[in-house]
Amino acid sequence: MRAAILSTGTLAVMAIAVGAFLVAAPTSAGAQAKKAAPLELNGDAAARPWKRYDKWPKRDESKWSTLDAVKSPPAPKDPQKITGPITGDAAKGEKLVADRGRGGSCLACHVMGPAGGANLPGNVGPDLSEIGSAGREDEWLFNYIYDARVYNQDTVMPPWGSHGVFTDAEIRDMVAFLKTLKSPAKFKTVLDDPNKRPAPVEKRENLDSLENPGMWAVDKAKALWTKSMASGKSCNTCHNKPETQFKTWAASMPKWEPRLNKVLGVEEFVTRHAAATTGAKWLMETDENRDMSIYLHFLANGAPIDVDTKSAPAKAAIKRGEALASRKIGELNFACTDCHGKAANHWIRGQWLGELKGQYDHFPTWRTSLLAVWDIRQRFQWCQVNIRANELPPDAKEYGDIELYLAAQNEGLKVSVPGIRH
Amino acid sequence: MAETPKIRVPKTAKKGEVIEIKTLMPHIMESGQRKDKDGKAIPRKIINKFTAEFNGKPVFSANLEPAIAANPYMQFFAKVDASGTFKFTWTDDDGTVTSTEQKIDVA
Repeated sequence: MRAAILSTGTLAVMAIAVGAFLVAAPTSAGAQAKKAAPLELNGDAAARPWKRYDKWPKRDESKWSTLDAVKSPPAPKDPQKITGPITGDAAKGEKLVADRGRGGSCLACHVMGPAGGANLPGNVGPDLSEIGSAGREDEWLFNYIYDARVYNQDTVMPPWGSHGVFTDAEIRDMVAFLKTLKSPAKFKTVLDDPNKRPAPVEKRENLDSLENPGMWAVDKAKALWTKSMASGKSCNTCHNKPETQFKTWAASMPKWEPRLNKVLGVEEFVTRHAAATTGAKWLMETDENRDMSIYLHFLANGAPIDVDTKSAPAKAAIKRGEALASRKIGELNFACTDCHGKAANHWIRGQWLGELKGQYDHFPTWRTSLLAVWDIRQRFQWCQVNIRANELPPDAKEYGDIELYLAAQNEGLKVSVPGIRH
Repeated sequence: MAETPKIRVPKTAKKGEVIEIKTLMPHIMESGQRKDKDGKAIPRKIINKFTAEFNGKPVFSANLEPAIAANPYMQFFAKVDASGTFKFTWTDDDGTVTSTEQKIDVA
């Protein structure tokens, strides 16, 4: 276990601090500052060992692939042979397909006739309300649930049987239920029909501190800005006109950092730069770090996202990020690009899946459902825990590559931070 | 770090105009009814009083009770006849008094 940077290396910090100098913020992608900004290069920028946030599911998902390791079993090559018709318990099957405690519920992606009261089903997958009269063989239905990859390598359907989420007997019950589905779903309200449910539009005034508590971070960060830290210096010592000095800086992040061989986002940059200059201990995913990140993004509000996508190391990082974003991970075997690519602009249960474009310009954002600020790395971490994969620490290099890939998809969109979202 | 109150008062108004004022104080408003993991009651800690003054004279005040949600938000109206300063104060159960002021020019 390595110690987090901020608990060690005081001497090194001081040495760098002596050499610290005002570094002009780059005005656009590729505009390199003449002198590289001081950064603490030793140690980690987030807590080690990484401990999952309170109130997040505690399940250990170490059996499954993550963004830093491929571990899940490979897809089976052939469908299982089923002899004779499947006779399961259709009533049990109906319960299972709507059981959110088990698979997350088939209804999350499929309309399934009367199952679950047709209450807010999703439409990532086809409507199965008439699958019973579609002429599908039992073997096909069984294998499609067990592991749909035997029929379609590009499927986004989780391998429910291969990954052991449901037993063979349970899958037989679900097949028995599917065979009873022969008439279109009846929805109680128009909102229950995922094909008619209107896509959410965010209309709140995200920069109004009476509406968006995320804005309170701006006041807090302004106070932190002028506060003297361990070295006797504050941010203000070198950056005494943040409003003009940081008008575009956050829009140019994340950026490849050759001294660390990874992509740094605003949050990790703040941790390492503050450690090297003022001695502040602002590890990622602490309140101070979030406040600073919001403030630095806030200062760049209105600036179009303009990250370096052209230099050789940036191109390589984006390529890696793209590969990671399409890696299948977790028990549910999803890739970022499954939900936010192939299945984008559909409903997963009551949640709208957006495209990659539009998922970055408002981070860090206030989460009204959680009463908390989430930065982009915490958002990444939740995506993984949510699909039952272990998350990485927020300063993981894999997140850096994905963040740059994501930012590149969001080029030109104007920074609007803090955002406000459900 | 101490939370700072958020207020909205127009910078200018006409003589005799009725203006809208919005105030919000970030605060947990712990009701005293909740219990912690060990079953012990979490002590009450709320903002129990809010006042608004204009040039030293009371304009509006409210006694807040434990059922009021976190981050108490007040929206009210005041008639302004002359230029002056609004002063808002929030009193915490622990005795902390937070206040903030804003000037308004009345023409």
